[in-house]
Amino acid sequence: MNAQLLQLLISLCEVAAMAGLCVALFGWNRAAMPDLAAALGRDVAGFRPGRVGVSADAKTALVENARDGQVYLAVLRGDGVVTRRLSPATRVSREGRRLTLDLRDFTLKRAELDLADAAEWEARLKGAA
Amino acid sequence: MPFDPVTLATPAFVLLVIAEMLFVRFTGRGRFEAKDTLASLSMGLGSVVIGAVFAFIFLGFAKLIQPYALFHIGWSWGAAAACFVLDDLRYYLWHRASHRVRWLWADHVNHHSSQHYNLSTALRQPWGGFLALPGLLFVAPLILLGFPLTMIAFVHGLNLVYQFWIHTESIGRFPRWVEAVMNTPSHHRVHHATNARYLDANYAGVFIVWDRMFATFVEETEEDPPHYGIIGQIASFNPLRIALHGWVSLGSDLIRARSLREFAFYLLAPPGWSPDGSRETSDSIKASWADFQAAQTPAE
Repeated sequence: MNAQLLQLLISLCEVAAMAGLCVALFGWNRAAMPDLAAALGRDVAGFRPGRVGVSADAKTALVENARDGQVYLAVLRGDGVVTRRLSPATRVSREGRRLTLDLRDFTLKRAELDLADAAEWEARLKGAA
Repeated sequence: MPFDPVTLATPAFVLLVIAEMLFVRFTGRGRFEAKDTLASLSMGLGSVVIGAVFAFIFLGFAKLIQPYALFHIGWSWGAAAACFVLDDLRYYLWHRASHRVRWLWADHVNHHSSQHYNLSTALRQPWGGFLALPGLLFVAPLILLGFPLTMIAFVHGLNLVYQFWIHTESIGRFPRWVEAVMNTPSHHRVHHATNARYLDANYAGVFIVWDRMFATFVEETEEDPPHYGIIGQIASFNPLRIALHGWVSLGSDLIRARSLREFAFYLLAPPGWSPDGSRETSDSIKASWADFQAAQTPAE
């Protein structure tokens, strides 16, 4: 067997072993939404939490910055949170409680939220746009 | 080359990653997340394969300029030591440019794209170095001084190996004299942090003295523990998406450029630059943070 191919195969086995051990020690899924205000406080200087809408699956949320009225999307990814400031470029649509946000973002194309007050958020976001 | 330091160190990398996982699991000092770790390890493996495939670009460039070398420096350990120090300065300059020039950042961003900071993060290496062509210019002075290519590759490997172990939260701080001269886990945590006070700091590879000399050094403080990743954290653990996201973002901006000036600024200005200033750059984030801090401080 070609030496480089053998080296690649060994490397693949090493990666699999390390990933397997990581899953065994730390688990695969961590679904609890961390403190949103703290997460946004890290991303936005002077962030003050305002209105918050957490999706029924507790993996996605809309959070308003009480300081300037800007609305942010927060999405759970692994054990971290990814936030996006919602801009006028965000396309918002709603079907009953289901609010869909189409973002022009290569790693976060779309977010769906199941919100009791989806209509109010839709109006809020479209008004902001 | 006497030996390839990276190949020789790879078994140690694996053992140290495993040791750190066990340490973190049983002490709670540090964080691991399985999907993030798998993504980082896959990025590391992919970068080795892609780097080998596109090594001819570096070799072609080196062979092109080597005839114009000022001196002919032979192999000796003294020359290798000098080459190591100069290569570390080369690394500092390249690294600083990689954070301040969007073209280079499109590639380097991958290394910073994890919200975790552990030894697997060290292996989260970019795949598109062959597209970040201006990076080649930084190695030109070493070739033009006359250092052998094998020596440059050797010290570059040593530099990479050194930087592996500093990607950890499991080590606090070293004695002051070590922290004064060497790049350490504490200094490099600052470099990977997204906290406003830590942005664009500590670019060093091995010797932190470069940051001290060029005024880019920032000390880690206990009052503001580092949070890791990038401005606008990525929302994917897919290695291909991670590898491409910087390039896709740059490409879409270049396509939308309305003039040659805009095209040049999207390519060469700091990440976050936009014609209308509507996006955030590290400078604007630091300025907002400084304003906020000043507003919070009661007047004397």
